[in-house]
Amino acid sequence: MDIDPHSSAPIYQQVADQVRRAVAAGVYRPGEAIPSLRALAVELTVNPNTVQRAFETLEREGLIQARKGLGMFVTENGAVSARRRSAAAVYATFVQGIRAAQAASMPPERIRDSFDKAWGDTHAEVRDEP
Amino acid sequence: MSTEPVSPCAIELVGVTKRFGKQVAVQDLTLRIPAGRTLGLIGPNGAGKTTAIKMLMGLLPMTAGRARVLGIDPAVKPVLLKRAVGYVPEMHFIYRAMRAAEVIGFCRTFYPTWNNPLCAELAGRFEIDLHKKVKHLSKGSLAKLALVLALAHEPEVLILDEPMTGLDPLAREEFLEGVVHGLCDRSRTVLFSSHMLSDVQRMADTIAIIHQGRLLVSCLTDDLLKTTKRIRAVVRDGCTPDQPPEGTIWQRFERREWLLTVRPFSPATLEYLRGTYPVENVEVQDLGLEDVFKDYIRGQKVQA
Repeated sequence: MDIDPHSSAPIYQQVADQVRRAVAAGVYRPGEAIPSLRALAVELTVNPNTVQRAFETLEREGLIQARKGLGMFVTENGAVSARRRSAAAVYATFVQGIRAAQAASMPPERIRDSFDKAWGDTHAEVRDEP
Repeated sequence: MSTEPVSPCAIELVGVTKRFGKQVAVQDLTLRIPAGRTLGLIGPNGAGKTTAIKMLMGLLPMTAGRARVLGIDPAVKPVLLKRAVGYVPEMHFIYRAMRAAEVIGFCRTFYPTWNNPLCAELAGRFEIDLHKKVKHLSKGSLAKLALVLALAHEPEVLILDEPMTGLDPLAREEFLEGVVHGLCDRSRTVLFSSHMLSDVQRMADTIAIIHQGRLLVSCLTDDLLKTTKRIRAVVRDGCTPDQPPEGTIWQRFERREWLLTVRPFSPATLEYLRGTYPVENVEVQDLGLEDVFKDYIRGQKVQA
């Protein structure tokens, strides 16, 4: 896990995102514990208050839940919820790309062509996904 | 004057000024750090960071203004203040001929709240060889020893003044990990100064930018990111815009392209631009903290 210092996203969101991605990828499965607050804060060298805020965000999303004295655990629906959030992040990335294209005065056909080309270029990788 | 309200802030500087002869090192500086928060004080070398911190620590008298740490006035109760604070100065004043263990034994006599088991635990965690003489420790180990000395009396407030100067990247990372552990052990209020944003940006929930003794901005890190935007406006041939919108931190106009960094950005900023100049194309971008910091500093240079 890592924090991007050049990103405009708040660090607590970046931390939450890292955990979400790890859950979506199956690093931590439903019923399993995620790393402790201290372990995550030290690994990412971020303020523990920031990790706490990320945990609160993920708890509200229903991705993780606290077990008294044991730490944070992935909920039963955690993996599904993490994948849904990942889909939202993908959508946001497309929106960003389309906005950049519009700012560069690209006509709509060219934007679609460019998507098709990107799709084609990565198709081999995409096909391998479940 | 009205009666002073009880301070909800752990660290407070109000209207602090320091003059050395005609030279103004710190000018009318006001900083408030609520309990439990970590403030990153950043600015170029010579901006007044160390001078401000020395006044806060009661090591330097101020020309004007007031300072409080946990309600303690450093000018009135300097000993009480130093007991309440874990302080890592830029120059680690540690006796070089002593062994690390002897330094610990010496320092602990000044603090009634010194915690021996904690001190041993911290020294172990930071892998400091206590039998080595201070002059034989690496720069990284010396910085970490200074951090152990600052944490072992269990202070509620931590003041770190450019603690990582001269450390290589690995030692910097290890020092920061030490600070993170210190913040995990108990709730603490931290003032962390550096000329490098990268030192503090992952640790600080509040950022204060200081330049030539003056505070340019003090704001929650997340809010600073949310409210600052870079605008790239392309204007029609022959137009030379000269009135930047309200809140402009930095700007540059070249050929047809007008780059502006604005805080706080709002839809009114774009309305103003479109209403005032023949704008052909406009793009609004988010910025990372590094760019926000850079634009605050270079915006000052243009004005000077």
